[in-house]
Amino acid sequence: MKKEIQIEEKFLEQIKRHQNIIHKICFIYSKNRPDREDLYQEIILQLWKSYPTFGQRSAFSTWMYRVALNTAISATKKFWFLSETELPDVGYEDENMSDMSEDIRILYNGISKLAKVEKAIILLWLESKSYEEIAETTGISVKNVSVKLVRIKSRLSEIIKKMQ
Amino acid sequence: MNNIDLERYKTAWKEEKSFNKATLSDPEIRTYIMKRSKGLTASFKAGLLLDIILKIILGVSFIALIVLFGGKIGIAGICTGSLLILFYLLWSQIATYRKIPGQEGYSGDMKNFLSARIEFYRTKFLKTVYVIALTNPFVFLSGMLYYFYFKYGIIRPLDVVDIIIFGTLCIVGFALGAFVQVKQYNFQVNQLEECLREFQENDINEATIRRHKKQKRTILIIFIIALIVGLLLLGILLI
Repeated sequence: MKKEIQIEEKFLEQIKRHQNIIHKICFIYSKNRPDREDLYQEIILQLWKSYPTFGQRSAFSTWMYRVALNTAISATKKFWFLSETELPDVGYEDENMSDMSEDIRILYNGISKLAKVEKAIILLWLESKSYEEIAETTGISVKNVSVKLVRIKSRLSEIIKKMQ
Repeated sequence: MNNIDLERYKTAWKEEKSFNKATLSDPEIRTYIMKRSKGLTASFKAGLLLDIILKIILGVSFIALIVLFGGKIGIAGICTGSLLILFYLLWSQIATYRKIPGQEGYSGDMKNFLSARIEFYRTKFLKTVYVIALTNPFVFLSGMLYYFYFKYGIIRPLDVVDIIIFGTLCIVGFALGAFVQVKQYNFQVNQLEECLREFQENDINEATIRRHKKQKRTILIIFIIALIVGLLLLGILLI
């Protein structure tokens, strides 16, 4: 029992220390506040459930990126009969955005037009991860990462350019 | 053409202070980890569990029918047959439930995580979708027998028209259930596949897709044949 409490304490401590990673992933993958809160909760839940698999072989933050991104990309729309009634993607509209810089708003609206895997790759690039680290997290080759990054950056530039 | 300086945005991203705000307290994190997952695996598990419970209730209702009809040969045969089929389906559902991927994949790389889940959903889990739809004819059969018992106390011998009507209703029940289940299942798994395609440079693994389609057809045909054979046996027992 005491050991379980210690594990939970350690988990809470690490989550608090690295919660910026969850904030960023939820920010990139959500359209609005309720979506973001749902994803936030789901990521923390999956991190907790997966915590026994964290083998200390990698840094906690690296492990956290993987679990959080896997949770984000596997979050699907719930019901086929509701999918057609969904509102079109009009970019990020949230009161929290008022605190953010103009560049971040533009960047977000550009990223929101990308596909799920593209979002993950560009997020890892924004986080200054090396090609090797991106390859390890995504499961694609280093060469493929560099090719994809060139394409994604080019696409993102075009989207941002159109928005300006 | 590409003169947008993405490095500028990268710097803005790094300097953005709102991401680093400590917003979570210990009690909040504890509340999150106590909640139930809303993810795809959890929703498939919940659907499967609900079906398992429904099948158990149906099993009990068929046992009660054997008792109610006082072991009348025809009815006892139908109920025992239904019980055996339900038992087999239940066993198969429980086996699938236990095989649903756990947490270990979450800390793996994204591509493998998606591949493993799609492989499971498109192969082992697919049969379950039809097994869930098969619950409907049993609900109908059980309901019909209870109706006859409480309304007339007996079941008169059925003629061919009765058998055709009841058989059609059973098939419609299965078909409607299968339609809804398969549509929902495809809707969610397709979203994962779409994601996996991004990794594979739009080079879809045609062999895998062909294999999944063939498997899907085979399972559907087996279920339809089993349903028709079951209905014919039911007809023979009731005539």
